[in-house]
Amino acid sequence: MTSLWACMTGADRLLTLALTLFALAGAGWLLSAPPGERILVDDGVQIVYQGGFDRVAELSFHGPMGTSRLAIAADGVRVIEAPCPQKLCMGMGPARRSGDLIACLPNRLLVRIVGAQPAEAVHDLISR
Amino acid sequence: MTSSAAEPAGLPAARRRTFLALFTALAIVVHTFETLLPTPLPWLRLGLANALALVVLFLYGPGAAWSLTLSRIVLGALLLGRLFTPGFWLALAGGCLATLVMTGLHRFGRGRFGPVGISVAGAVSHACGQTLAAWALLVRHDALWRVLPLFLLFAIATGLLTGWVAALLLERLKRHPALADT
Repeated sequence: MTSLWACMTGADRLLTLALTLFALAGAGWLLSAPPGERILVDDGVQIVYQGGFDRVAELSFHGPMGTSRLAIAADGVRVIEAPCPQKLCMGMGPARRSGDLIACLPNRLLVRIVGAQPAEAVHDLISR
Repeated sequence: MTSSAAEPAGLPAARRRTFLALFTALAIVVHTFETLLPTPLPWLRLGLANALALVVLFLYGPGAAWSLTLSRIVLGALLLGRLFTPGFWLALAGGCLATLVMTGLHRFGRGRFGPVGISVAGAVSHACGQTLAAWALLVRHDALWRVLPLFLLFAIATGLLTGWVAALLLERLKRHPALADT
Protein backbone atom coordinates (compact mmCIF):
# COMPACT_ATOMS: atom_id res chain seq x y z
CA MET A 1 0.00 0.00 0.00
CA THR A 2 1.34 3.42 -0.97
CA SER A 3 2.21 5.56 2.05
CA LEU A 4 0.49 8.87 2.71
CA TRP A 5 3.75 10.76 2.11
CA ALA A 6 4.23 9.06 -1.28
CA CYS A 7 0.67 10.00 -2.28
CA MET A 8 1.39 13.71 -1.75
CA THR A 9 2.84 16.05 -4.35
CA GLY A 10 5.23 18.87 -3.41
CA ALA A 11 2.37 21.37 -3.62
CA ASP A 12 0.22 19.13 -1.38
CA ARG A 13 2.96 19.11 1.28
CA LEU A 14 3.47 22.86 1.13
CA LEU A 15 -0.27 23.54 1.35
CA THR A 16 -0.72 21.15 4.28
CA LEU A 17 2.26 22.67 6.11
CA ALA A 18 1.00 26.24 5.59
CA LEU A 19 -2.52 25.41 6.77
CA THR A 20 -1.19 23.49 9.80
CA LEU A 21 1.06 26.38 10.84
CA PHE A 22 -1.86 28.80 10.45
CA ALA A 23 -4.16 26.61 12.59
CA LEU A 24 -1.43 26.01 15.22
CA ALA A 25 -0.76 29.74 15.45
CA GLY A 26 -4.47 30.34 16.04
CA ALA A 27 -4.68 27.54 18.62
CA GLY A 28 -1.55 28.85 20.39
CA TRP A 29 -3.03 32.31 20.55
CA LEU A 30 -6.19 30.86 22.15
CA LEU A 31 -4.28 28.71 24.67
CA SER A 32 -2.16 31.66 25.77
CA ALA A 33 -5.27 33.48 26.99
CA PRO A 34 -5.40 34.07 30.77
CA PRO A 35 -8.07 32.38 32.94
CA GLY A 36 -11.44 34.07 32.57
CA GLU A 37 -13.40 35.62 35.40
CA ARG A 38 -16.96 35.85 34.17
CA ILE A 39 -19.38 33.59 32.33
CA LEU A 40 -21.79 35.16 29.84
CA VAL A 41 -24.66 33.09 28.43
CA ASP A 42 -26.20 34.49 25.27
CA ASP A 43 -29.35 33.19 23.52
CA GLY A 44 -28.43 34.78 20.19
CA VAL A 45 -30.45 37.90 21.01
CA GLN A 46 -29.34 39.01 24.45
CA ILE A 47 -27.28 37.98 27.47
CA VAL A 48 -29.50 35.80 29.64
CA TYR A 49 -27.01 35.05 32.43
CA GLN A 50 -23.74 36.38 33.75
CA GLY A 51 -21.78 35.26 36.76
CA GLY A 52 -18.42 34.14 38.07
CA PHE A 53 -16.69 30.86 38.86
CA ASP A 54 -16.93 31.44 42.60
CA ARG A 55 -19.95 29.18 43.08
CA VAL A 56 -20.74 25.63 42.01
CA ALA A 57 -24.10 25.61 40.25
CA GLU A 58 -26.24 23.91 37.65
CA LEU A 59 -28.34 26.17 35.43
CA SER A 60 -31.08 25.45 32.89
CA PHE A 61 -31.71 27.48 29.74
CA HIS A 62 -34.63 27.10 27.35
CA GLY A 63 -34.06 27.35 23.61
CA PRO A 64 -35.93 26.46 20.40
CA MET A 65 -35.10 22.75 20.79
CA GLY A 66 -35.63 22.38 24.52
CA THR A 67 -33.64 22.77 27.72
CA SER A 68 -29.85 22.90 27.91
CA ARG A 69 -28.17 22.49 31.31
CA LEU A 70 -24.84 24.02 32.29
CA ALA A 71 -22.63 23.03 35.21
CA ILE A 72 -20.38 25.71 36.71
CA ALA A 73 -17.42 24.74 38.87
CA ALA A 74 -14.02 26.19 39.73
CA ASP A 75 -12.38 24.30 36.82
CA GLY A 76 -14.79 25.72 34.25
CA VAL A 77 -18.26 25.65 32.80
CA ARG A 78 -19.58 22.81 30.68
CA VAL A 79 -22.82 21.76 29.01
CA ILE A 80 -24.05 18.62 30.79
CA GLU A 81 -27.34 18.17 28.97
CA ALA A 82 -28.44 19.34 25.52
CA PRO A 83 -31.50 18.64 23.37
CA CYS A 84 -29.62 18.90 20.05
CA PRO A 85 -29.06 15.66 18.09
CA GLN A 86 -25.26 15.78 17.79
CA LYS A 87 -24.38 17.05 21.30
CA LEU A 88 -21.48 19.03 19.90
CA CYS A 89 -21.69 21.52 22.75
CA MET A 90 -21.22 18.75 25.33
CA GLY A 91 -17.90 17.88 23.71
CA MET A 92 -16.65 21.47 23.78
CA GLY A 93 -16.30 21.99 27.50
CA PRO A 94 -15.06 22.74 30.06
CA ALA A 95 -14.40 26.37 29.22
CA ARG A 96 -12.29 28.38 31.65
CA ARG A 97 -9.89 30.66 29.76
CA SER A 98 -10.76 34.17 28.75
CA GLY A 99 -12.21 34.01 25.24
CA ASP A 100 -13.28 30.36 25.49
CA LEU A 101 -16.58 29.61 23.88
CA ILE A 102 -19.17 26.85 23.99
CA ALA A 103 -21.82 27.07 21.30
CA CYS A 104 -24.99 25.00 21.01
CA LEU A 105 -26.13 26.29 17.64
CA PRO A 106 -29.37 24.28 17.23
CA ASN A 107 -30.58 25.45 20.64
CA ARG A 108 -29.17 28.98 20.14
CA LEU A 109 -27.02 28.97 23.25
CA LEU A 110 -23.64 30.67 23.42
CA VAL A 111 -21.50 30.47 26.54
CA ARG A 112 -18.56 32.89 26.61
CA ILE A 113 -15.81 33.34 29.14
CA VAL A 114 -14.50 36.87 29.52
CA GLY A 115 -11.85 38.53 31.65
CA ALA A 116 -12.38 41.00 34.45
CA GLN A 117 -14.63 43.95 33.77
CA PRO A 118 -12.71 46.95 32.44
CA ALA A 119 -11.82 49.40 35.22
CA GLU A 120 -14.01 52.16 33.79
CA ALA A 121 -17.05 49.90 33.80
CA VAL A 122 -17.24 49.91 37.61
CA HIS A 123 -18.05 53.63 37.61
CA ASP A 124 -21.60 54.76 36.98
CA LEU A 125 -20.50 58.28 36.16
CA ILE A 126 -17.29 60.26 35.88
CA SER A 127 -17.58 64.03 36.11
CA ARG A 128 -14.87 66.66 35.64
CA MET B 1 -29.70 0.12 -20.18
CA THR B 2 -28.34 -1.38 -23.41
CA SER B 3 -25.69 -0.33 -25.85
CA SER B 4 -24.99 -1.53 -29.34
CA ALA B 5 -22.14 -1.45 -31.79
CA ALA B 6 -24.20 1.05 -33.82
CA GLU B 7 -23.82 3.73 -31.14
CA PRO B 8 -20.34 3.29 -29.66
CA ALA B 9 -20.15 6.99 -28.83
CA GLY B 10 -22.98 6.60 -26.31
CA LEU B 11 -21.21 3.92 -24.31
CA PRO B 12 -18.70 6.11 -22.40
CA ALA B 13 -21.49 8.55 -21.46
CA ALA B 14 -23.75 5.73 -20.25
CA ARG B 15 -20.85 4.19 -18.33
CA ARG B 16 -20.03 7.56 -16.77
CA ARG B 17 -23.66 8.07 -15.66
CA THR B 18 -23.82 4.57 -14.21
CA PHE B 19 -20.57 4.87 -12.27
CA LEU B 20 -21.48 8.35 -11.05
CA ALA B 21 -24.80 6.99 -9.73
CA LEU B 22 -22.93 4.14 -8.01
CA PHE B 23 -20.39 6.51 -6.42
CA THR B 24 -23.22 8.80 -5.26
CA ALA B 25 -25.13 5.90 -3.70
CA LEU B 26 -21.94 4.72 -2.00
CA ALA B 27 -21.23 8.24 -0.69
CA ILE B 28 -24.74 8.44 0.84
CA VAL B 29 -24.28 5.02 2.50
CA VAL B 30 -20.84 5.97 3.90
CA HIS B 31 -22.15 9.35 5.08
CA THR B 32 -25.19 7.78 6.81
CA PHE B 33 -23.14 4.97 8.37
CA GLU B 34 -20.51 7.41 9.63
CA THR B 35 -23.17 9.61 11.23
CA LEU B 36 -24.46 6.63 13.18
CA LEU B 37 -20.99 5.60 14.45
CA PRO B 38 -19.94 6.71 17.93
CA THR B 39 -16.90 9.01 17.98
CA PRO B 40 -14.51 10.04 20.78
CA LEU B 41 -15.70 13.63 20.44
CA PRO B 42 -19.30 14.21 19.34
CA TRP B 43 -18.39 16.81 16.71
CA LEU B 44 -15.49 14.85 15.24
CA ARG B 45 -16.39 13.14 11.94
CA LEU B 46 -13.94 11.76 9.43
CA GLY B 47 -15.98 12.80 6.39
CA LEU B 48 -14.99 9.66 4.48
CA ALA B 49 -17.78 10.30 1.95
CA ASN B 50 -15.65 13.19 0.71
CA ALA B 51 -13.13 10.60 -0.53
CA LEU B 52 -15.76 9.59 -3.10
CA ALA B 53 -16.27 13.23 -4.13
CA LEU B 54 -12.52 13.42 -4.72
CA VAL B 55 -12.57 10.20 -6.73
CA VAL B 56 -15.29 11.49 -9.08
CA LEU B 57 -13.53 14.87 -9.29
CA PHE B 58 -10.39 13.19 -10.59
CA LEU B 59 -12.27 10.69 -12.78
CA TYR B 60 -15.09 12.80 -14.21
CA GLY B 61 -14.39 16.45 -13.38
CA PRO B 62 -15.93 19.30 -11.35
CA GLY B 63 -19.56 18.82 -12.52
CA ALA B 64 -19.59 15.26 -11.24
CA ALA B 65 -18.09 16.33 -7.88
CA TRP B 66 -20.82 18.98 -7.45
CA SER B 67 -23.52 16.48 -8.39
CA LEU B 68 -22.27 13.88 -5.89
CA THR B 69 -21.78 16.34 -3.03
CA LEU B 70 -25.18 18.03 -3.37
CA SER B 71 -26.97 14.68 -3.77
CA ARG B 72 -25.18 13.28 -0.72
CA ILE B 73 -26.05 16.26 1.48
CA VAL B 74 -29.72 16.44 0.46
CA LEU B 75 -30.45 12.69 0.31
CA GLY B 76 -28.34 11.97 3.41
CA ALA B 77 -30.27 14.61 5.39
CA LEU B 78 -33.56 13.19 4.06
CA LEU B 79 -32.61 9.68 5.20
CA LEU B 80 -31.51 10.87 8.66
CA GLY B 81 -34.54 13.16 9.12
CA ARG B 82 -32.39 16.30 9.18
CA LEU B 83 -33.60 18.05 6.02
CA PHE B 84 -33.83 21.85 6.52
CA THR B 85 -32.65 21.62 10.15
CA PRO B 86 -29.79 23.94 11.25
CA GLY B 87 -27.37 21.02 10.80
CA PHE B 88 -28.50 20.63 7.18
CA TRP B 89 -27.73 24.27 6.37
CA LEU B 90 -24.33 24.01 8.05
CA ALA B 91 -23.55 20.85 6.06
CA LEU B 92 -24.74 22.51 2.83
CA ALA B 93 -22.62 25.62 3.40
CA GLY B 94 -19.56 23.54 4.33
CA GLY B 95 -20.07 21.16 1.40
CA CYS B 96 -20.54 23.97 -1.14
CA LEU B 97 -17.45 25.91 -0.02
CA ALA B 98 -15.36 22.71 0.12
CA THR B 99 -16.47 21.67 -3.38
CA LEU B 100 -15.84 25.17 -4.72
CA VAL B 101 -12.27 25.15 -3.38
CA MET B 102 -11.58 21.54 -4.43
CA THR B 103 -12.85 22.01 -7.99
CA GLY B 104 -11.01 25.35 -8.24
CA LEU B 105 -7.70 23.81 -7.14
CA HIS B 106 -8.23 20.87 -9.48
CA ARG B 107 -9.00 23.09 -12.46
CA PHE B 108 -6.57 25.96 -11.90
CA GLY B 109 -3.81 24.15 -9.97
CA ARG B 110 -2.30 22.95 -13.29
CA GLY B 111 -1.95 19.42 -11.98
CA ARG B 112 0.30 20.44 -9.09
CA PHE B 113 -2.17 19.30 -6.44
CA GLY B 114 -3.01 15.64 -5.87
CA PRO B 115 -6.02 14.14 -4.06
CA VAL B 116 -4.40 14.61 -0.63
CA GLY B 117 -3.69 18.35 -1.00
CA ILE B 118 -7.10 19.00 -2.52
CA SER B 119 -8.72 16.98 0.26
CA VAL B 120 -6.93 18.99 2.98
CA ALA B 121 -7.96 22.27 1.32
CA GLY B 122 -11.52 20.95 1.02
CA ALA B 123 -11.69 19.88 4.67
CA VAL B 124 -10.38 23.27 5.84
CA SER B 125 -12.89 25.05 3.58
CA HIS B 126 -15.66 22.84 4.95
CA ALA B 127 -14.82 23.91 8.51
CA CYS B 128 -14.69 27.59 7.44
CA GLY B 129 -18.00 27.27 5.55
CA GLN B 130 -19.74 25.70 8.51
CA THR B 131 -18.45 28.35 10.91
CA LEU B 132 -19.44 31.12 8.49
CA ALA B 133 -22.96 29.66 8.11
CA ALA B 134 -23.28 29.25 11.89
CA TRP B 135 -22.27 32.90 12.35
CA ALA B 136 -24.57 34.17 9.59
CA LEU B 137 -27.64 32.04 10.28
CA LEU B 138 -27.60 31.00 13.92
CA VAL B 139 -25.40 32.92 16.32
CA ARG B 140 -24.17 36.21 14.94
CA HIS B 141 -21.40 36.66 17.44
CA ASP B 142 -17.72 37.19 16.67
CA ALA B 143 -16.72 34.93 19.56
CA LEU B 144 -17.80 32.01 17.37
CA TRP B 145 -14.64 32.44 15.28
CA ARG B 146 -12.53 31.54 18.30
CA VAL B 147 -13.36 27.86 17.89
CA LEU B 148 -12.10 27.90 14.29
CA PRO B 149 -8.39 27.04 14.96
CA LEU B 150 -9.42 23.85 16.76
CA PHE B 151 -11.80 22.93 13.93
CA LEU B 152 -9.04 23.60 11.40
CA LEU B 153 -6.58 21.26 13.14
CA PHE B 154 -9.13 18.43 13.11
CA ALA B 155 -10.05 19.29 9.51
CA ILE B 156 -6.41 19.01 8.39
CA ALA B 157 -6.05 15.59 10.06
CA THR B 158 -9.30 14.25 8.59
CA GLY B 159 -8.49 15.84 5.21
CA LEU B 160 -5.16 13.98 5.11
CA LEU B 161 -6.89 10.70 5.89
CA THR B 162 -9.74 11.06 3.37
CA GLY B 163 -7.29 12.31 0.73
CA TRP B 164 -5.11 9.26 1.30
CA VAL B 165 -8.16 6.96 0.98
CA ALA B 166 -9.12 8.76 -2.26
CA ALA B 167 -5.57 8.44 -3.66
CA LEU B 168 -5.50 4.70 -2.92
CA LEU B 169 -8.97 4.24 -4.45
CA LEU B 170 -7.97 6.17 -7.57
CA GLU B 171 -4.79 4.10 -7.88
CA ARG B 172 -6.88 0.92 -7.95
CA LEU B 173 -9.80 2.23 -9.98
CA LYS B 174 -7.62 3.59 -12.77
CA ARG B 175 -6.28 0.06 -13.33
CA HIS B 176 -9.84 -1.25 -13.79
CA PRO B 177 -10.75 -1.79 -17.48
CA ALA B 178 -14.07 0.08 -17.13
CA LEU B 179 -12.34 3.22 -15.85
CA ALA B 180 -8.95 3.00 -17.54
CA ASP B 181 -10.07 5.27 -20.41
CA THR B 182 -11.44 8.10 -18.17
